[in-house]
Amino acid sequence: MSSDTELHVPEEEAHGDLRRGFHHELDDIRDDIAKLGAIVTENIPRATDILLNQDLDGAEKLIVGDDEIDVAALALEERCYSLIALQAPVASDLRKVVAAMRIIAEVERSADLTKNLCKAARRIYGHPLNPAIRGIIQKMGDQATTLFKEATESYLAGDATRAAAIDDMDSYLDDLQREFMRTIFESHEAAKSSIDLQVAVQLAVVARFFERIGDHAVNIGERTQYLVTGLVRESLGAARHASRQAAGESE
Amino acid sequence: MAIANGVSTVADHTDTESSSTVSTTTRPEVRNVSEVSLSTTAQTADSPDDSAPTVYDIEDLGVYYGDFKAVRDATLTIRQHEITAFIGPSGCGKTTVLRCLNRMNDFIDTARVEGTVLYHGVDLYDPKVNSTEVRRRIGMVFQKPNPFPKSIYDNVAYGPRIAGMKKKSELDGVVEKALRGAALWDEVHNRLDASGMSLSGGQQQRLCIARAIAVDPEVILMDEPCSSLDPIATSRIEELMQEIKREYTIVIVTHNMQQAARVSDRTAFFITEINKESDRRTGVLVEFNPTEKIFSNPDDERTEQYVTGRFG
Repeated sequence: MSSDTELHVPEEEAHGDLRRGFHHELDDIRDDIAKLGAIVTENIPRATDILLNQDLDGAEKLIVGDDEIDVAALALEERCYSLIALQAPVASDLRKVVAAMRIIAEVERSADLTKNLCKAARRIYGHPLNPAIRGIIQKMGDQATTLFKEATESYLAGDATRAAAIDDMDSYLDDLQREFMRTIFESHEAAKSSIDLQVAVQLAVVARFFERIGDHAVNIGERTQYLVTGLVRESLGAARHASRQAAGESE
Repeated sequence: MAIANGVSTVADHTDTESSSTVSTTTRPEVRNVSEVSLSTTAQTADSPDDSAPTVYDIEDLGVYYGDFKAVRDATLTIRQHEITAFIGPSGCGKTTVLRCLNRMNDFIDTARVEGTVLYHGVDLYDPKVNSTEVRRRIGMVFQKPNPFPKSIYDNVAYGPRIAGMKKKSELDGVVEKALRGAALWDEVHNRLDASGMSLSGGQQQRLCIARAIAVDPEVILMDEPCSSLDPIATSRIEELMQEIKREYTIVIVTHNMQQAARVSDRTAFFITEINKESDRRTGVLVEFNPTEKIFSNPDDERTEQYVTGRFG
């Protein structure tokens, strides 16, 4: 467009947004999801501390608190449904609603995992953990927290570049999980077995919970990228399937 | 159970409490998704075929009314058996462009067209081209249903009669075919002598579509064909468009973005440019893309703002 021209906007529309209420509600939903995400971000280190300090009161509080997160997630989901029903969103508006619904589920599930960490804390109550185990739990908790914080903040900011980095950060958490599994075996097999089998199984599950939280953070990052760019990232499975198809056809 | 072959239902287990005898049941083979018919290709089926034959090649189209430039630099391709929608705010030139496609602008003395409008490779504005023949091949349906104050039969038979068809039996056949084609036959076949004006608004609009298709055109141009119709009559017309696009090529101007999204294969989005010095407003084609693209992730920021109502 040449410099002496500009977009013509009829007077009554000159103040911009024609669907202000609707767009305001979209922003509100995103902010509320981010608030839930922030609660989960805080609950990950809390659950880690509860686990390390065998804090039964803390565990109880967090487990009960999870029900409120479920209620909030449900209410947010319903707000998305009514936007679809009443506002017929298209283009970036539609992506916002769809991404919100997916991200709500990721946040809600992650909250469940922090609850599961607290339940595991109850089960290993009374069994002291050796320093190697404690160190890796702390690291996994820290990394899962960082991932979830990045996911929540990049969603709130609509920052696709930052969201794209979460996947790479997750591989460190995966490495920690593998390292933790080895440490559990070593601790169990040590001459003076420092953890019994029951505790070992609980700890393996704990590692899995942290690792899953990381995966949910990665999913939030992917949904954020979709929200911004409109592109759905091809999953690894779909990529493998495509290359197998290609290989089959060339034969 | 058709979906999960060999998998017994929960009810089976609870009825017989046979969970301990699971090992005696036949286990189903592992099945891959490719062995189950899922419509995973729906997404690609929706996107229009870029190899479909071209009907119109419009290049750098500009339209003037006197020295006022109403539209500039419109370039787009309209393909056979597709529905192409023109959307945009009032005054963006979408109707002006539509009227260029069958030389309706010829009726306006001051109108002048520059650039090229090729119809099957023929320049539509070549002086040798017979504009009456153009309008026979390229029919038009207007915003307000405009049946002639004649009987339903005569409305539809009007075009064929002008074209020289005289035999009653032939005309009867054409009228029935056109009325069936416009999904109106069942409603009016026993009162073909009634006035076209006695029909409801939606029926009148379908009568106009019947009148347009009676002369066996190739293209049907529709200028906001549903804007005076209620939602039920609107969905009838939209359904009709989907049916007749197998035989015709349709171009529709609509103010209803959801209608463009529902019915069309491709969408052209126009906008009004305002020249500050002369205060002249000129329509510009901003984006022309598959409809799915326009309403999910358009290329141009202005399209995005328009379809999401963030205009301005």
